Amino acid sequence: MSTVAWITARGLFGRRRVLLLLPLPILLIVLAVICDAAGVDAREWGAPVIVGLGLAVLLPVVALIVGTGVLGSEVDDGTIVHILTKPLPRRDIILAKLGVAVVASAVTAAVPLFVAGVLADSVRFGLALAVAAALGAVAYSALFLLLSLLTRRPVLLGLVYILVWEGLLGRFVSGTRVLSIEQYVITVGDRLSPATDILDPKVGLPVALVMAAIFAVGGTLFAVNRLRSFSMAGETS
Amino acid sequence: MSEASVIHDIGYQRYDGPRLGRRAVFGAMYIHGLRAAYGLGRSAKSKIFPWLVVGICLLVGVILAAVKAQTGLEALNYFTYADSMSWLIIFFAAIVAPELVSRDMRSGVLPLYFSRPLRASDYIGAKVASMVTAVWLLLAVPQLIMFLGAAFTTKNGISDVWKELGDLLPGWAYSLLWALVFTGIGLLVASLTGKRAFAAGGIVAVFLMTTPAVGVLSIMPSQDAQELAGLASPSTLVSGVGQWIYPTANTGMMIGRFGPVYLIEAITLVAACMLLLLARYRRVAAL
Repeated sequence: MSTVAWITARGLFGRRRVLLLLPLPILLIVLAVICDAAGVDAREWGAPVIVGLGLAVLLPVVALIVGTGVLGSEVDDGTIVHILTKPLPRRDIILAKLGVAVVASAVTAAVPLFVAGVLADSVRFGLALAVAAALGAVAYSALFLLLSLLTRRPVLLGLVYILVWEGLLGRFVSGTRVLSIEQYVITVGDRLSPATDILDPKVGLPVALVMAAIFAVGGTLFAVNRLRSFSMAGETS
Repeated sequence: MSEASVIHDIGYQRYDGPRLGRRAVFGAMYIHGLRAAYGLGRSAKSKIFPWLVVGICLLVGVILAAVKAQTGLEALNYFTYADSMSWLIIFFAAIVAPELVSRDMRSGVLPLYFSRPLRASDYIGAKVASMVTAVWLLLAVPQLIMFLGAAFTTKNGISDVWKELGDLLPGWAYSLLWALVFTGIGLLVASLTGKRAFAAGGIVAVFLMTTPAVGVLSIMPSQDAQELAGLASPSTLVSGVGQWIYPTANTGMMIGRFGPVYLIEAITLVAACMLLLLARYRRVAAL
């Protein structure tokens, strides 16, 4: 199992593709520093930077790149066969890959969010954001890992989820918020640091925790199940 | 192996019909690109995403036309309609641009294309033209529906229809600007990678990264910074140009006296994207 994780991590970080993960965190930190230096009130820049860029874009996009990359790239170039033919339970393969994806995306998202949180309010707010981002990374990674097994175009489908479901519908149709990981992250972050009024939670804490767990566990179980009966499909359309 | 080998004449003939030149290749690639953008002639799977976007755009257009016809209320005009569809346009660009250029690189057919009487500029031109048409149609058809809805329920006869037409034509021009800007950026990003997934992600990332920058700049203390904020993102850039040229558009952009700056940046952006695309394919053509 550790070998699979090691191979996955090397496949993720050993290519030029890892550079794709850099611009968003850097942009977030740069914007936060600029706002802080320009003397803008944190309550004004907190919402567009931390929520608008950090939680709505940085976290899901990083999780999307990493989560679809850990398994999807191996499916794409066909090397997944080498792992599948080893006498390993499929559960272990999924868990190892999910673990790498969670750690990678959690670190990439939590560090800049922590910096922005400290600049905006306090160390406590920064830690709250980092913990919430890590929790979100677990749920997002499980979802996107599953997507990379369900469809040949997981990135596009993941973008639909991020842009249309969370971005467009989450803003106008209140019912979709219950199924939006972004809202769970906001709720958890707000609960961990209640004094700051930058985050504006829309769902309750129990709902957020339970639904995040359902996304994470359900996604993982479904992915294991999918990988059990996985068939290599040729290049389609 | 005793008998002598014989060459049989099995009727091969040279092609001696008319040879179509660059223009025909251009036209064929344009038509093919336009069909590919909407997944026509492809499997049902590749029709899902483009027609999802088309469906939503049409639905919104029909709803707006119906609301205006029934209540006389104009929820969105031709300009704000295009603005509010901006995320769908971005998504559409992320579907279509990789389909048009990344596929060709992935399947290695570029040398075949360039072994025909086709220059790099023709290839780019055909791709750009078909994608601009595809994106423009995405916006223009719902705008036409809105126009028809308004024209057939007018109160004051033909004069209202003319007035409505006077609103529709600038709206179409505005949609063309959207199409040009998003085609330029989309094709440029997509031409960098042969993997469609990365190309789509990269195109969306451009917009995801620039939109928050606008949000941050627009809360800066300086008023000049607020009015120039829209320059940071392509979608607000287009809105700014629309607002300046057509002040009654109500796009909600605060551009102050910087309208010309927006127009200049929009033109420069489109031109720069085209030149970079040309530079990109000069190298491929030389390979």
